[in-house]
Amino acid sequence: MNRRSFLKAAGASGVAAFVAGCSAEPVDDGADGPTANETGGQNGTEGETGTATGTPSGPETLRVATYSSFVDAPSSSPGQWIKERFESEFDATLEWQIPDNEINYFIERAAQGVDSDADAYVGLDTNMLIRVDENVDGQLFAPVESDAVEGRNAVQSGLEFDPQGRAIPYDTGYISLVYNENDATAPQTFDGLLRPEFEGDLLAQDPQSSATGQAFLLHTIKAKGEDGYLDYWEQLQQNGVRVLGTWEDSYAAYSNGESPMVVSYSTDQVYANEEGEDLSEHQIRFLNGEAYANPEGMARFADSQNTELANRFLSFMLRPKVQAEIAVRNVQFPAIADAPLPEEFAQYAKEPETPVTFTYEELKGNLSEWTDAWARQFASN
Amino acid sequence: MEAGDDGGPRTASGQRRVTVSDWLESRALTLVAVATGVVLVVLFYYPVATVFVEAVVVDGALSFEPLREVLTSRFYLVEIIGFTAYQAALSTVASVALGLPGAWVLSRFEFRGRKTLRSLTILPFVLPSIMVAIGFVATFGANGTLNRLLSTVGLGQVSLLYTLPAIIVAHAFYNAPLVTRMTTAAWESIDARTVETARSLGASPTRAFLDVVVPQLLPAILVSATLTFVFTFASFPIVLALGGLQYATIEVFVYYRVQQLAYADAAALAVVETAVSLGLTYAYLRYEARQQTAAFAAGARPAPRKRLIPRSFRRLSAKDALSRVAAFGYGVVVLLVFVAPVASMLLSSVTAPDGSLTARYYEFLLQRQATATEFQVSPLPAVLNSLLFGVGTLLLALPMGVVMAVLTTRRYRGRKLVDALSMAPLAVSGIVVGLGLLRGLVFGVEAFGYRFTVAGAVAIVAAHSVSAYPFVTRNVAPLLGNLDPRLVESARSLGASRTRALWDVELPLVAAGVVAGAAFAFAISVGEFDATVILATGSNSYTMPVAVERYLGRRLGPATAMGCILLFVTSLSFVVIERFGGRSRGV
Repeated sequence: MNRRSFLKAAGASGVAAFVAGCSAEPVDDGADGPTANETGGQNGTEGETGTATGTPSGPETLRVATYSSFVDAPSSSPGQWIKERFESEFDATLEWQIPDNEINYFIERAAQGVDSDADAYVGLDTNMLIRVDENVDGQLFAPVESDAVEGRNAVQSGLEFDPQGRAIPYDTGYISLVYNENDATAPQTFDGLLRPEFEGDLLAQDPQSSATGQAFLLHTIKAKGEDGYLDYWEQLQQNGVRVLGTWEDSYAAYSNGESPMVVSYSTDQVYANEEGEDLSEHQIRFLNGEAYANPEGMARFADSQNTELANRFLSFMLRPKVQAEIAVRNVQFPAIADAPLPEEFAQYAKEPETPVTFTYEELKGNLSEWTDAWARQFASN
Repeated sequence: MEAGDDGGPRTASGQRRVTVSDWLESRALTLVAVATGVVLVVLFYYPVATVFVEAVVVDGALSFEPLREVLTSRFYLVEIIGFTAYQAALSTVASVALGLPGAWVLSRFEFRGRKTLRSLTILPFVLPSIMVAIGFVATFGANGTLNRLLSTVGLGQVSLLYTLPAIIVAHAFYNAPLVTRMTTAAWESIDARTVETARSLGASPTRAFLDVVVPQLLPAILVSATLTFVFTFASFPIVLALGGLQYATIEVFVYYRVQQLAYADAAALAVVETAVSLGLTYAYLRYEARQQTAAFAAGARPAPRKRLIPRSFRRLSAKDALSRVAAFGYGVVVLLVFVAPVASMLLSSVTAPDGSLTARYYEFLLQRQATATEFQVSPLPAVLNSLLFGVGTLLLALPMGVVMAVLTTRRYRGRKLVDALSMAPLAVSGIVVGLGLLRGLVFGVEAFGYRFTVAGAVAIVAAHSVSAYPFVTRNVAPLLGNLDPRLVESARSLGASRTRALWDVELPLVAAGVVAGAAFAFAISVGEFDATVILATGSNSYTMPVAVERYLGRRLGPATAMGCILLFVTSLSFVVIERFGGRSRGV
């Protein structure tokens, strides 16, 4: 290659890199009109900066943000099914958005004074909602009147977690122990976990970065009280509990036979059965007969211009058939009582006798302090 | 090859006509330097500043409260910062101890596949940490390869996982190859005549080695040790995956505070982290400046390599035999620390839950390729994007890094400070950079009634180049600094522009460093995750590591299969880069 032309090309690409990645748009002065959309591919159209303005004619577009495994898990995920069903029934395009920072992405946008650019969010839990309320001035999500969303009243009341009626539960999971009965029989109680025979047997996750880890920490606070959980964890730590960063890290270690118990979901056997695995390696234990319930909710962004279509989407998500499909594909329990679940699901998805959970009010103002105190203690030992 | 005066066309009178290309050539260094500055400001300094400002500004007023809080907290100082430095120091020692013999074997012995092996030393650098964690659990875990080996020879179990040694071995896995690589390059450019001279003056082989070879290797060893310390000081996923939270580092807490949107704490911690890393880099650079000599220049003739497997074992002296035994002993360590985890990962991509062989995880990739929707990640685009961004980064980071190397080898006051600052992209927490990019560029900056946003494929390449160019600089600058300045002076006095002198005289002499830098640039781009996921707008710009992460689930298979594709594609790329680069060395 001619060295001189190479140098020129290399230099030019540096300049081009700076120019081509930029875009400038007039700042929205708050007047009505189409909002710019930067994230998410436009329904198959390419576009590096992805700026396109919605046009009033043609099918409407509904932009729904969610976490990645809801639409793109290696096994099964409900995203594609929901999109196809929704689009075939309503004259609309459903566009999934999966920002890597999940809800923090939208909190950040709000803090920077930028529009949400999405109509609805799927995958909120109590902890996220508290983070939203503590960090966003004004409303990120709009309260939904129950008559605006069909089926709203069918949601089991025990799953409701938003006192302001913004988040509508669409499914719930129970965080419990999964154990390999060939190696150990899990204890029945939290105290049992402290016995010497279980030394070094439990893998948990960091409550600071993992939903399962957070749920397990909260469950210990439920069981041992606000004044007792730190002592309990001190003893757990002395008995060799391992707290890893993510559920993936710990489940990978569990699958490799590193330890006989892991904090996971009570629906573990659904997958194991589908994969034809030995169910003895996927036993579920509800400590103290309980499991921590973590309902997942959906909500409409307050600055969405698409109120009506968004409400139709929320109603759609609560239909019994859709509820059953979400439950099976997301491997969680439905939020309504009469979803027509397949028999296999009912057989392998275990429900605790007593689901426990903290309410929004109980967590608000406490959650970060509890977690901080725990993290400092755990990292100090 | 080309004559020195091959420049622009001449007029009839023989006067040189100044053309646009001449102008560009004479200003090329300046232009690239300015472009580098602009890219750095837009994709690094500005975004990072938006986060760091939180450490010193509270409610709009200047206050050092967050920083003061971190620096007066026993917990942060002792448990977190102290521990972080401690494990980084141990990791650095382990990486150097594991990496140096590798440099010795690669530079002193000849054997089949040596060049390929040398190319592949950079491979661990690009492996996603989750894959390494999986490989390490399978190798060093309770039921792992090591324990099975030990039990077959009748030894007891060792439990290495979730301990400090596990973290340190994993850090060595990532960083020893760095030490090997940089030291091998230095070793290969040592002129055999310098050793011969020392020997002829009566020095024993050991004395000659200590007095002649070691001083020339030391800068490379210290660069790699400094980099290792900086990297392991900011280590995060490996610490959590193989050690657990009881071994939390600063970066773990930065991440946690960012997750909680407690930016003041996060920024304060990140400022401390950056100060330590940059301080160390600065200290190293001052050392490097003292070491610089104009001793060795063009035409270094390295000593010939010995055959690792000698033709005849009879005539082998005791010392030579011992050195072979040592080399093979080192090979066993390499097998355990590097090959076993990677092999375990490969194996888990073809093993079904019941332990039988299966191709279904690769079938999953094929199926995903065929049926994925636009919001799902499919394998082929991930491979192509990674390669595209990698090549783009190579093209952008090489000129950036070389020009920075030229600038930092000139003599002026405060040069070491500029040099250290140019290394900042290595020293700043990836989480902080990611957050800064999100706030500063993806959401955009308002000015003059417009909102300016920077995102998409081009921004990803630029961001990758920002993290990659310091490697090019660090690989090239020491070699450039060692060149005889008279070479450039003669070229300049014969009428060559500064750019042409660099291009025709200096670069060919430091080609080894440029090629090494190129491999690093490519590797950084392939392995980068934080900026990629943040700047990848839409679903068209995801890379192989993103795909690996996306394919993680209850079964490891799909992710490990994708990880093996990553391994294969990048291995091939490194071999190509170094073979291609190696061939053009004589330019």
